[in-house]
Amino acid sequence: MPYSKNTITSTLLAFILMIFCYSMEAQTVSGRVTSSESNEPLVGASIRIQNTNQGTVTDADGTYVLSGVQPGDSLIYSYIGCIEVRLSYQGQSQLNIQLSSDDRLLDEMIVVGYGSQKRSSITGAVSMIKSDEITSTPALRIEQALQGRMAGVQVSQSSGAPGAPLTVRIRGTGTINNSDPLYIVDGVPVGGLDFLNPSDIESVNVLKDAASAAIYGARGSNGVVLIKTFNGKRNQEGIVQYNAYYGIQNAWKKPRLLNAREYAILSNEAHIAAGAAPLPEFANPDALGEGTDWVSAIMQSAPIYDHQLSISGGSEKSTYVISGNYFNQEGIIGGKKATFDRITARINTTHQVKKWLLLGNTLNYTWLNRDGITDNSEFNSPLIRALNIDPVTPIRKANGTFAYSPYTDTDIANPVNAIEQTFDSWTTNRVVGSVFAEAELFKGLKARSTYSIDNTFANQRRFYPKFDLSVDPVLSDAPATEKNLVNSVGFNANKWSNWQWENTLTYIFTIGKDHHLNALAGTSALLNRHYYNGGANTNLPSNKWEDAYISNTIDPIASQSSYEGADESALNSYFGRINYDFKDTYFFTATMRADGSSRFGANNRWGYFPSFSGSWIFTNDGLLDNWLALGKLRLSWGQNGNDNIGNYGYTSVISSGQNYVFGPGEVITNGSVALGASNPDLKWETSTQTNIGLDLDLLSGRMQVITDYFVKKTSNMLYAIPVLSTSGTAAPVQNIASAINKGWELAAYLKSRPTSALQYNIGGNLTFIHNEVTDLGTGGEPINTGRIQSANSTVARTDVGHPLASFYGYVTDGIFQTQDEVANHAFQSEGTSPGDIRFKDLNQDGVIDVNDRTYIGNPIPKITYGLSGNAAYRGFDLSLFWQGTYGNDIYNGSVRYDFTYVNRPQSALERWTGPGTSNTQPRVSLNDPNQNARVSDRFVEDGSYLRLKNIQLGYTLPSKLMQKVAIRELRLYISAQNLLTFTGYSGMDPEIGVVGSPLELGIDKGFYPQSRIWMAGVNLKF
Amino acid sequence: MKKHIYKILFLTTPFLFSCGKDFLDKKPIIGVTSDNFYKTEEDAIAAINAAYAALQFELSPAGHFRWFWGDIMSDDSEKGGSGDNDVVELYQLEHFQGPVNTDLLDAEWNADYEGIYRANVVLEKVPSIEMDEALKARILAEAKFIRAWFYYNLNTMFGGTPLVDKVLAPSEYNLPRADAATIWAFIEKDLQEAIIDLPLKSQYSQKDLGRITKGAARSLLAKAFLYQRKYADALVQTQEVIHSGEYSLVPDYGTIFTQAGENNSESVFEIQYMNASGGNWGKNAANEGTFTNVFTRARGQFAGYGFNIPTQDFVDEFFKEGFEDPRLKYTVFRLGDQMGDRGIFTLANAGDVGYIYHPRKYFSNLSEDAPFGDPNPNGGSNDRVIRYSDVLLMDAEAAFQTGNEDAARASVNIVRKRVNIAEVTASGQQLIDAIYHERRVELGLEGHHFFDLVRTGRAAKELGPLGFKEGINEVFPIPNSQIVLSNGVLKQNPGY
Repeated sequence: MPYSKNTITSTLLAFILMIFCYSMEAQTVSGRVTSSESNEPLVGASIRIQNTNQGTVTDADGTYVLSGVQPGDSLIYSYIGCIEVRLSYQGQSQLNIQLSSDDRLLDEMIVVGYGSQKRSSITGAVSMIKSDEITSTPALRIEQALQGRMAGVQVSQSSGAPGAPLTVRIRGTGTINNSDPLYIVDGVPVGGLDFLNPSDIESVNVLKDAASAAIYGARGSNGVVLIKTFNGKRNQEGIVQYNAYYGIQNAWKKPRLLNAREYAILSNEAHIAAGAAPLPEFANPDALGEGTDWVSAIMQSAPIYDHQLSISGGSEKSTYVISGNYFNQEGIIGGKKATFDRITARINTTHQVKKWLLLGNTLNYTWLNRDGITDNSEFNSPLIRALNIDPVTPIRKANGTFAYSPYTDTDIANPVNAIEQTFDSWTTNRVVGSVFAEAELFKGLKARSTYSIDNTFANQRRFYPKFDLSVDPVLSDAPATEKNLVNSVGFNANKWSNWQWENTLTYIFTIGKDHHLNALAGTSALLNRHYYNGGANTNLPSNKWEDAYISNTIDPIASQSSYEGADESALNSYFGRINYDFKDTYFFTATMRADGSSRFGANNRWGYFPSFSGSWIFTNDGLLDNWLALGKLRLSWGQNGNDNIGNYGYTSVISSGQNYVFGPGEVITNGSVALGASNPDLKWETSTQTNIGLDLDLLSGRMQVITDYFVKKTSNMLYAIPVLSTSGTAAPVQNIASAINKGWELAAYLKSRPTSALQYNIGGNLTFIHNEVTDLGTGGEPINTGRIQSANSTVARTDVGHPLASFYGYVTDGIFQTQDEVANHAFQSEGTSPGDIRFKDLNQDGVIDVNDRTYIGNPIPKITYGLSGNAAYRGFDLSLFWQGTYGNDIYNGSVRYDFTYVNRPQSALERWTGPGTSNTQPRVSLNDPNQNARVSDRFVEDGSYLRLKNIQLGYTLPSKLMQKVAIRELRLYISAQNLLTFTGYSGMDPEIGVVGSPLELGIDKGFYPQSRIWMAGVNLKF
Repeated sequence: MKKHIYKILFLTTPFLFSCGKDFLDKKPIIGVTSDNFYKTEEDAIAAINAAYAALQFELSPAGHFRWFWGDIMSDDSEKGGSGDNDVVELYQLEHFQGPVNTDLLDAEWNADYEGIYRANVVLEKVPSIEMDEALKARILAEAKFIRAWFYYNLNTMFGGTPLVDKVLAPSEYNLPRADAATIWAFIEKDLQEAIIDLPLKSQYSQKDLGRITKGAARSLLAKAFLYQRKYADALVQTQEVIHSGEYSLVPDYGTIFTQAGENNSESVFEIQYMNASGGNWGKNAANEGTFTNVFTRARGQFAGYGFNIPTQDFVDEFFKEGFEDPRLKYTVFRLGDQMGDRGIFTLANAGDVGYIYHPRKYFSNLSEDAPFGDPNPNGGSNDRVIRYSDVLLMDAEAAFQTGNEDAARASVNIVRKRVNIAEVTASGQQLIDAIYHERRVELGLEGHHFFDLVRTGRAAKELGPLGFKEGINEVFPIPNSQIVLSNGVLKQNPGY
């Protein structure tokens, strides 16, 4: 962050020097060029005499000698990343110049597809964050660092479990298909970012509009995230950086559930309501007391820590960075059984081999280990079990072994034991790297060739130990989920080997004085290959994880299962781009990409994706007003595709192994059939996006406002619609639907004057998105998704005229207070009684049935926003970062209402017990004949939240003191993540990303909540 | 100039390696595509075997066993398990408070249509294969039987469902329900056609034991006719089976439901299972075993789930004639009985869940447990769907209903004679009641009784006390998930 600005401007310095030295003849001037921030010498800074070829560069001490200077000449001091200083030479023999770093926002270099541009010349909609923002919050994964930082980029947790992926949506959910953006790291397309160490990243640029992303053609429609990793600087002495933090994670909220006494009271009522005798052991509920707090039993404090070491630097012709990182996080649910471990190592180098030839590489190795406990499952996650198991059952029996619940059965097993019995470990080794050569063929024309690989080797080992919670193991009285009488071992191995070869030609030239052109042409070939194998067997004598290998099992080889297979996809592309600007004022860009994808049938193999964009800097007419330093208008249009479907979707594959048994010897005989349907007409989906934007630089560049309005239409959306069982097959992928996303984005930034002692900056962004399905193809039938077990029905519906995956169900209308009210209302069910929920008869046909459902909620936020503030004063720094959503709903499916005997939230105490007792909480009944648990607005809650994602207080030790011990910088900090959350949502966490299917949004099935983390850290540089 | 040569090389080299045309032509590496399959005789056999595989579906993923519907829904047995809440939907269904949105009915509906799809694939793809014509005709006939079987299940369970007579394109999935009569006609047509080309049981080679026979098709057709009360038509079919000489009752009733009794001389249609395929839970998990054994075995030391508990009413049926019917001890375990090699049936041994009866027919010994893998999904007992005694009793019923009481008595007495009990001499209502009694006793806990009660109009009387409502509970509710997916094109059965 630019809080450390405290400088005398170079021009002022030059002016002072000018007074002392004055002469008229051609002279020699020497001096030193240093950084105004650090006082360190700037090596390789250039000094030129304007309008001549004369010039020099500074040496390793930052000193220079320039001869042949005449008084009155204009000297230009420049250095990459610093503000140029021009001064009129007045005959001095010595000129020491300080350059200050250039953080004027419009002159930032923005990484775009296959190149970079100054922000001022950007015509599309691109957002960027830089390393200081990424590392300002200790980010566990790079996606977290993007959350709330950029307008139009929505990031949410898909689980709070360590190492869980995040959901990233650029300009809304563009498609009912996979809406994940395309990730390009140093030019390499990668699937997922879990391998990256956030500290290695220099910048993240997000191409939001179609015109910017069109250069990525068939893969660009969900936006493109371009990540650039650090490299060293030339002529820079090695800098060693060590960063570390340690933190403790805790639950920020615990649900309030019934205690044993309350549970028993409700159980008794439920039995009586269903005409059954109450359980004798619940005759005196008061005797049961508090009972077991299952949620506390499965949650704990868990550590999180990170160590990061990097060395970077460069010689005259080479640069390097070497870094290593170790990260470890345990889960607040599952503890060590939910550990995420990551080791990364990186080497990036560049070498100027010839004057015209630059070679370089990036190489990243990552080792990941993720021990998974089941999360986000309404069937068997520890959390859903803890929320639903009765509080009467103790965790352990008197003899110390785990107890099972005699009341809850089937899914709801003892969660503490379930965690204990979980052994599920993913280990990943991944190498992502590239080599490139760039040749300047003649001035302005560069050819670049890049070959890259992304090889991932991922293994999963699972062990299901033998256990039996039976009171009497001989009788084996425990229900099926509370015992496993034969242990088993399973192993899966996956290898993803992807390579890409890209070749580009760039030609930068000027016609006349004012017409600047930059032309790009390129080709790309990409091959993805996935190879997998695995096996399983039963009966391991030792029942220990350490021994859990298939070869240690004693069941015969004949019982082992094994499999092996592979699949491939290929992409071949040609692309081109022309950037043109007139007088640095009018900008125009046109791009075209042709993509051929193996995922589509031969009929639809090639797609063509054009874009056009332009911008106008309307303040370049010399009217540089102090309050408006720069104003720019942008307009763009483009088309992108999405090929995020599985391989071979156009054809149907015959599956063997659909066997039957024939003959007296019971011979297993092969049967084969296609389990899925084919679609030979399959093609990419297309999104067309128009963007209009306005950039304003105010208050001498201290304030920036960027706003964009966009309309994004997606058509031919690919989706395997859930099909009726009459198909007899799994659903085929079809090009069936269209949707529109309209939105408005605003980002603003304000920072303090560089000279003020108190340095501060405030940034904020705001995104309004409206999403609507406009067409659902042939038949136009709505898509029902998001099945939840507690209602045994789907919750979400995607239909024309409504947002994607909107909640769809019955509308409640209070509680029947009397039998008369039941009789006078539309027929709901035979068993409907007073105390049951009254559902609205929307079609007024006198019967409550599926035709009485309607749209009852929208999981997509109307507004997402982020707000950051940083302040620094005399070595202290404080930062706050807030993030939130507004206007989204959550369907709370975390209570298994399909089991009428499981535990309930405290709100169940407000139940109806007689006329007038409640108009919101229905009576309790063992058999729920009225289906009070059916999908209805009763379970739809406002999911808006505002969260203090991070607050951090740091102190940088005085540099004078540190220099004595040869330390460049030492900073200590404490920080808290998720310290405050404001939400009306009753569940454990309102921040719920996509879980499972892309059309399952905002459905809480026992969501693994994010933790509150207290941490302390150190940044050391020498 | 030298420098320029390198530069030119640099510029041109990448373009020398242009992508071959087949770079983008990626065919599946695993499995063949439909276009390359259905070319040979082996392909045709693999196709029909896949349709047979659908017969084994019973947990897809929720249970939809034949004994769920035929026995538990009737007054022969109760759900059982660890308590009322163990598969509570089944408890609700058996008390006719059926929720319309249960997995169990979803699973039944799904599995039936998946079987129909697999049969349709055979009927569509196999005709154009160049192969032995006789074998081709047989395979097509097997497919027609399998299709008819799944429609029989659908029609008796739900009463008129969408008619799918070919492999549907995605645009064709949303079909309205056909009425029950249309489906019956379709079943009859498939079976009539299948009968022509299906071999007799004795005409199959040993290695094909378990394949569908002409006798199976005729017997299923007889069942279909009986369900529609087309007694004369049913009689034609049962007579054909009886006079085919292919079937006879085994002398010892007690051997029928043993491993040795599989595919015996009275086996007409038997779904084949084995205990050593090593497969796992789930319908397509390469599993050739049944879950029935573990589900219906007593709990506790018997290591079962204790489902399908015989009722007192059912046991009493065996004493109706004033003596204990000899078939009772092979149908029901009573307290004190030896449960094979697993021990003596006491309340304590059986997990203290309080059941005094357990079903016996699908009991499997410990020694018959899967030799490897998880024994639970790998039960070895074949599902005896149609036995010859069922054919004889259908014959008796059809003969009675068409006015031939002598023939009716003759057929029912063949069944009684095998277990050495006195011949029936009654006539009129007493005779038909005797035939009904014989069915309940002879075929007890084999998945028939609920449907027998419904088709003979006795369900309201027998099951009324359990909550059965006439005009509603003859059929189950259409799975709600399907109605939702169809956006109302599928209409719910009345009363649900």
